[in-house]
Amino acid sequence: MTNAEFPQVRIVPIRMLKPATAERLLNMLAGTAGIRRMMIHGPGLPKTVPYGPARGSPNPHSDRKAIRIADAEIALRVQVGTVILEVEDASVIEEIRSLCDDFFVEFPYLLQEGKFMKTSPTLVDYAKYGPDADTSLVGLTDPRNRESPVILRTEQ
Amino acid sequence: MAYKPQYGPGTSVVAENRRKQMNPNQKLEKVRSVTDEDIVLILGHRAPGSAYPTAHPPLAEQQEPNCPMRKLVKPTDGAKAGDRVRYIQFADSMFNAPSQPYQRTYTEMYRFRGIDPGTLSGRQIVECRERDLEKYSKDLIETEMFDPALVGIRGATVHGHSLRLAEDGMMFDMLQRNVLGEDGIVKYVKNQIGEPLDRAVAVGKPMDEKWLKAHTTIFHSLVGTAYRDDAEYVEYVQRIHSLRTKYGFMPKEE
Repeated sequence: MTNAEFPQVRIVPIRMLKPATAERLLNMLAGTAGIRRMMIHGPGLPKTVPYGPARGSPNPHSDRKAIRIADAEIALRVQVGTVILEVEDASVIEEIRSLCDDFFVEFPYLLQEGKFMKTSPTLVDYAKYGPDADTSLVGLTDPRNRESPVILRTEQ
Repeated sequence: MAYKPQYGPGTSVVAENRRKQMNPNQKLEKVRSVTDEDIVLILGHRAPGSAYPTAHPPLAEQQEPNCPMRKLVKPTDGAKAGDRVRYIQFADSMFNAPSQPYQRTYTEMYRFRGIDPGTLSGRQIVECRERDLEKYSKDLIETEMFDPALVGIRGATVHGHSLRLAEDGMMFDMLQRNVLGEDGIVKYVKNQIGEPLDRAVAVGKPMDEKWLKAHTTIFHSLVGTAYRDDAEYVEYVQRIHSLRTKYGFMPKEE
């Protein structure tokens, strides 16, 4: 669960990222000290056609693939539109800003500061994690989804 | 005095493009060519080369009642043959796509016969007899009303029109019906409802930004022409709005 003392930022590129670009961006961020939690956000890319006449048939999509961040493999289920970060303190934000300034050269991006993660557990979180939930998990994943967050271990 | 339709207000290039698309006397510029078979594949209603399934016997074989309207209105080819009614649906990106849902409906109503368009905020569907549909679809795809990157032929799961574009400039499509190839040509790999095709259907290269900005019918303050820059358009909409609001209170124009 988010703590008011930790600032949050959101990276919003003006174009939605391809898996390869997302992989480069996230690896760059994973190498930065002071990031506590990270979330990728964007429109979903389902495995099967969810509705319409072709409902249930497979949906091959070149952007739904696994990317490698630090030592972990992440199966992308979305087209990366924004990256939400929770950082230790304001100095990390400036570091992220300077990294992103160098990274986004083909198209612009926005770095927004604010609250972008859940601030308290919802009823669904309670049903999923119970009363003794690990507060660092709340707000990171969709509680209705069976996948758990990925923990990155980087040499820092 | 003969009535001369004006089609729409405005002095901007967007307004000019809207009038151009709506005016049936103005020929739309042909930008690309797509074969009839390719269009049948994208639509996905029947196998290419197969006969048109029918909903009723041809009109010539039917005993039609004696009706003055039937004598007056000539049936379209599809209606004459008794084809079933099928559709094509388009989703248009807000980032300077060459057409947009309301514009499409106006344009089709002025240009095509025997159609039933349905208009929503981000997509527009048009239904008609199957062989007419293929003819109209060809017009809609081959002319300046279509851009391979910013216009999607999507029978279902159409969201994407208001999202940011992908890195390569393509409009987001959850079902990835069309892909931008290495050669810069957009190819449809699925039909409009998302069923994979046996072979990819090329629909040409995406148009460049300059062309899009000059041919769009959407106002966009960030990437195109801002609505507020077209004073005549704003004045027209304000007038309609104020008359509608005052309706019932004896509106009087100065």
